[in-house]
Amino acid sequence: MRTSPLRDSTPVRLALIILALSVLGLFLVAPLLVVFGEALARGVDAYVAALADPETQFSIRLTVIVAMITVPLDLVIGVSIAWCVAKFDFRGKSLLTTLIDLPFSVSPVIAGLIYVLVFGLHGWLGPILQAHDIHIIFALPGIVLATLFVTFPFIARELIPLMEQQGTEDEEAAVVLGASGWQIFRRVTLPNVKWGLLYGVLLCNARAMGEFGAVSVVSGHIRGRTTTMPLQVEILYDDYNFVAAFAVASVLALLALVTLAVRSVFEWRYARELAAEGRA
Amino acid sequence: MIDIRNVHKSFSGFQALNDVSLQIAEGELVALLGPSGSGKTSLLRILAGLEFADSGQVLFDGGDATTVGARDRKVGFVFQHYALFRHMTVFDNVAFGLSVRRGRDRISRADIADRVHYLLTMVQLGGLAARYPSQLSGGQRQRVALARALAIQPRLLLLDEPFGALDARVRKELRRWLRNLHDELKITGVFVTHDQEEALDVADRVVVMNQGRIEQVGTPTEIYDSPATPFVYQFLGNVNALECRIRDGLAEIGSLTLPASAYSGVQDAAGIAFVRPHDLFLSRPGSGSGAPAEVRHVSILGPLVRVELLLDGQTVEAEISRQRHAELAIEVGQTLLLWPRQARFFLRDSWQGTSFNDPERMLEHDI
Repeated sequence: MRTSPLRDSTPVRLALIILALSVLGLFLVAPLLVVFGEALARGVDAYVAALADPETQFSIRLTVIVAMITVPLDLVIGVSIAWCVAKFDFRGKSLLTTLIDLPFSVSPVIAGLIYVLVFGLHGWLGPILQAHDIHIIFALPGIVLATLFVTFPFIARELIPLMEQQGTEDEEAAVVLGASGWQIFRRVTLPNVKWGLLYGVLLCNARAMGEFGAVSVVSGHIRGRTTTMPLQVEILYDDYNFVAAFAVASVLALLALVTLAVRSVFEWRYARELAAEGRA
Repeated sequence: MIDIRNVHKSFSGFQALNDVSLQIAEGELVALLGPSGSGKTSLLRILAGLEFADSGQVLFDGGDATTVGARDRKVGFVFQHYALFRHMTVFDNVAFGLSVRRGRDRISRADIADRVHYLLTMVQLGGLAARYPSQLSGGQRQRVALARALAIQPRLLLLDEPFGALDARVRKELRRWLRNLHDELKITGVFVTHDQEEALDVADRVVVMNQGRIEQVGTPTEIYDSPATPFVYQFLGNVNALECRIRDGLAEIGSLTLPASAYSGVQDAAGIAFVRPHDLFLSRPGSGSGAPAEVRHVSILGPLVRVELLLDGQTVEAEISRQRHAELAIEVGQTLLLWPRQARFFLRDSWQGTSFNDPERMLEHDI
């Protein structure tokens, strides 16, 4: 075996590996197994029946709708912000990058509350919205807004370091060759970040579907009308309907597993591309 | 013709270009030579339209291009690290500049393919059209970048440190090749380099830059043989910079006194004498003129011998032939007479210089 001056002694390494594995097992793998175990506790039929429940079906549909609205918006916002921050220098750039991190540093419940304070019945815009019969809070728009707030940094955060590392030479080469701004973006910038972008979208989607706190505040938990899947899990659990609660939870957990799997594939492909460029 | 008039450019307080004026004739290949931070790359980027001058003008064939953006300048730019589009094949890279044309300038696919294949053949990459940049060697990438820049039939080709990222052997080969290509295409070209050998070897004309200013413009021979400023002397090739006193038309380097008639009006001032190592003539004491200097070190460099001597406290490097070395039977510690065939004097803190040529000694070529 090759020895290296940075290599720890074997017992230390072994201890660290065991520690890491047991923490992972205890806090990640075991709960995941419990979720699937409880969901299937009364057999596959009960599991399928639980998922077929109309209210549960509605929550799955609503979650998908919310994700389908927020993820494309996040994509546009995230790519625009990343493009601005990574390719241009301007006044207030550091303020913008700090603001991007805001959703990460603020509790999602606060995010929900902000929207209630602004758009709620007794909020700033409440009376005006009421007068025009526009429902934001306790309705789909509120859920979308809250989800947007929580998820918009994911894509930008994924892209900024990648774009900064790639610099602006490729874009300069394209503009000298006569390409327009849109042509540069579509044919040079976007392909250069495609794996990072896909990964960002994936993370963003997982979070959009799984968000609980912010959505919980603005949704009002109206069964069959404003309950997304995470809220449905809570409602079912509070009703002592454990099989159904864990069945819905298992769908969310599956989503997480799929996200992880696809992410690994991306990272593998992405790493190969980076290595092939010989830039390491 | 490219006409650069009194261009100034600064980046957040740093003066990158300070009153730079330069004319580049049609079909000429010009090297911008200078150390890093001398402003050469800024000047190149201003020519490309990737940066804009704070003041001053850039004229292309008489038309003002000062505020024309890079997209509309029709210049070819080869980046130092090539900036090839990594997700496109060699073919698509070269075709890029043609395929982005819209409206009236649109070119058919067949015409694009013809032109790309012609260019790839020209840069000797005919068989590699379907490869990706990552599958090419450094020299091949460089040639793809060149073909891509030439595809749009630029009126000016700009190259930023074109050989900087290549190993020495490929660099030399590509240098020859670029020179030949330029002679064939007769395209006006400007390249940036910090390597004086590269500049002198490839360019028709060399522009030596330092601290945002042009120090000297001239043919490689002019630049090498009669540097205009101390900076050019020191930047181009190996040179001895010796402290001297200038008194009434004479320059004294220790015990060595040389005529410097242009400074006859100067009573007593500190100066610097520049002498190239191969311009120093060595002889045995008693057999010629010159000042005595002690041999400190001798190293044999292929056909040449470098002799390090001490002349009144100053270290001087001389380069002589192997034959002369044998004739003199040089040994460390020995005293030899030192005489420069050619030297140039500058007063301290002055741009003006005056030179000394010894016509008699000029004939005694011992190398």
